Parts: sequence; structure tokens; C-alpha cells
Amino acid sequence: MMHDDGGTAAVTTLVMLPLLLVVLAGALEFGALRAVAYRAAAAADLATIVAVNDQDQTVLERTGTLRLAAGAADTAREYFARNLNPTASALAVGVADIAASADIASFPTAPAIDPRTGARYDRPTVRLIATVPVKTPGFAVLLLPAVTTITVRAASSPR
Amino acid sequence: MKRLAAALLLATALVPANAAYAREPFEDGSPPVPPIVPIPDPVAFVVPAGLYYVTDTYVADVVATSDATTTYSTTTVHESTGTYARVVDSIGTGAASAFDGTAFNGRGSLTDGRALAGTYYENFVLTSDGYVPVSIVFFQDDSETRRRRALSSPPPATPTPTAPTATPAATTAPVVGPSTLRGFPTPTPFPRPQGPSTPVAPTLRAGIALAPDGPALATAEVLRGRLIHFWPRAFANDVAVAIRSWRLLSAQPDYASAAAGGVEPLAAQWLRMPAPDVRWSLRFEIFTEIAPTERLEAEIAITVRSPALID
Repeated sequence: MMHDDGGTAAVTTLVMLPLLLVVLAGALEFGALRAVAYRAAAAADLATIVAVNDQDQTVLERTGTLRLAAGAADTAREYFARNLNPTASALAVGVADIAASADIASFPTAPAIDPRTGARYDRPTVRLIATVPVKTPGFAVLLLPAVTTITVRAASSPR
Repeated sequence: MKRLAAALLLATALVPANAAYAREPFEDGSPPVPPIVPIPDPVAFVVPAGLYYVTDTYVADVVATSDATTTYSTTTVHESTGTYARVVDSIGTGAASAFDGTAFNGRGSLTDGRALAGTYYENFVLTSDGYVPVSIVFFQDDSETRRRRALSSPPPATPTPTAPTATPAATTAPVVGPSTLRGFPTPTPFPRPQGPSTPVAPTLRAGIALAPDGPALATAEVLRGRLIHFWPRAFANDVAVAIRSWRLLSAQPDYASAAAGGVEPLAAQWLRMPAPDVRWSLRFEIFTEIAPTERLEAEIAITVRSPALID
């Protein structure tokens, strides 16, 4: 006795295809979001490292100890915007606005306690916390938010 | 039909065509190409011996009186005017020089009438014709001490800059002394007593500072990869005195500008991080102007740090 399975497979494919497409779109969008999140995190890391290099030369000459320059937070903000720039097309807000709204704190002397995170810093530290809105059109197709906000944190000190 | 189409296509291609203008340069009788006249090489610049680029510019002659000692020195400003200079004569107190009377700022004299010791520099500008001398300046570097009788009413210790002569070049003449070749300020020479004075053995000590006038430091934190200047300093009875020379006794930097020097600092750079529990330091041997034979030692501990993320 012979069965013709061709019709069954076609029906199954028709039924499952939308579901497969939804899963595929979600996976692609999620991967893209992860990539942008990594790049934003790297931008924040590099910005704080650059800012830690901004030391007060006068204090160093007088005391021999490293102390963050007064403009270290501004330096971190500037370089955060610069480092985010290559990712700008994937962001829902301009990089300048993201950098401007970032919570960047400089702790020029140590030890210090971060009032926001409660962390204790044993060295002069620059800390950055920023929210980065990322465009996620693939999610919008799936009736999810078209913009996903991620939060990046970074802190650096000379060690 | 095909033939007609081909003919139309050919006609369309040929009608807008232009004649190509070309010629054989050696067959059409055109005038011969003039021979190429070799252009002589530009006159090679004659670089005067000892010439260097000026980084510190002459400002004024300074006469400073402190107690019984009057010091004659020269102030400069760290500024490059795009000119060059060289030493043409270094002379001692009272000695005559072939350049006397040629310097725009003149050469002063001690109270006893002897001409000041110092150095003549010749300034140059670079033009298309080479290095052209523009002026001569005298850097005075001398001192004198009055006898004890004069100490009863010492004048206030105030430096008195004497304005350079009204020569226009006086304000722009770029001049540096040998110690300023690397862009470091010329230190004020320590007074060298010349008259009779009560012999006093000052307490000498040495230290290392991170600035020419900075305090002596026992430790210093440096960032990895950053070039740091270390200034050997010496003090006589806690008063800074001039350094004659210094020498590195031990050091671990990845780069050091010199193993020995004079008034210029040591520039050092660390590219590696020390192993745990390893302490790096710079140890100097220092000789001063006031006690050239007395050997001083100074040491500064170095902590190399590198910016890093905090987890």
C-alpha cells in the first residue's frame, strides 16, 4: 500500500513557515542588538580609560601622586561620543545626546565611594553609566518595541 | 533592411567623428626642440658649525642682589621664533672678546669695572640663501661678593631686570644657552663667592623632583608609557643650589634620555609593569656647584600604573 506524503509536507511547510520566519527575524534582530550593545560597552570602556589618562600635572609635580585632572569627566564624555559615532546609524538618538545624558562621575582622589553604585574606589576613578536607545526594526515587525534601550557601565582607574 | 540599418549605424558613428591631430615630431620639419639646459644645482647651504634651533628666547639681563652677593644672569622665555643660534665665544670675568661691542644687549661689568663673564651667541635666520646671521647677544653669567663692611646695610634682595638696548632685535632675538637646547629653562647660576667670606660648611642634601622648582619627592606614581622628567635637586641648608652634574646609579626604565647630565633633567619612560612585590626606583649621584667634589645621592621610588577597567 503506498501513501503520497507530498501533500502533507506542503501543508506542514505552509503552516510552519510563518513561525520559522518569526523565529529567524527575532534571532537576527537580537544578534544585531547584541552587537550594538557590545560596541556601546566598548565605547564606554575606552572613554573612561582615556579619561583616566588625563592627570593633573601640577599635583603630580607637587606630591608625586596621580590625581585626575579637573576635566576628566568632560574628557570621558567627549570620547564616549566619539567612540559611539561608528554605531550612530543603529541608534535611535544622536550620539551627542546620548553622551550628554550619560551619568559620568570623576573621583579624583581615593579612596572614594560612588554615591550611585555604592562601589568603593581605591584609586582615582572615572565612572560612566549611560542609556543607549537602539533601533530594533526587526522587533517592530514582531509587534515588539521598535526601540530597545540598553544600559552600559564602565569605570577605570590607574592600577 | 539589415543593410539599411547597418548603413545608418555606420553613418551615425562617422558623422560626429573629428579628425585626430597627430604628428611625428621628427618628420614634419617643425622647429627643433631646444636643448635642455641643465639647471645648476642650488648653492648648497653652508650650515655654520654648532648651529641649533632656538627654543628659548632672550628676554632681559638680570642683576639680583642677595645679602653680599650680586648675581648677573639672563632670563629667557620658552618660545621658538623659527631662528637658529650658535655659541661664538665663552669668556671669563674681565677677559676681552672679539665680540665685545657687537652684542645688541651689550656686556656689563662688575662694580670694580671688570667685564662680566658669559657667552656670546650669534643668531641666524634661514633664508633661501642659507643661514643669515642677524644679531649677536651676550648671556651674562657672573657674580660678585662685597666685603664684610658692606654687609652692614645690605640692599633688599630684589632682582632688577635691566632693559635690553633699544635695538629692535632685542625683543625678538632668539637665543638659548647650551643648557636650553632641549627646551628647559636656563637655571639661575648659584652665586660663586669671589671675595673673602667666612667659611661655612653648609648642610647639603639632594633629592629628586618632577619639576625644576618642585619639591624633592621620595616616591612618584607614573603612568605607563608616559615620558616623565626627573630633576635632580640639591639644597644647602634647605636652600636650592645649582646642580653641576648628575649620574644614574641604578634605574629600570624602558627609556632613559641619558645616563648622566648637568642642569637638564632625566626623561624616563616605563613601558612594562613591575612584577608583584618588585619595587622600582631611580638612584642618582649628584654634584653641586658649591661643593663640586662632594658626592650626594638621591633616590626616588617609582610606582608604574596603567589605566585599567574596574570590574
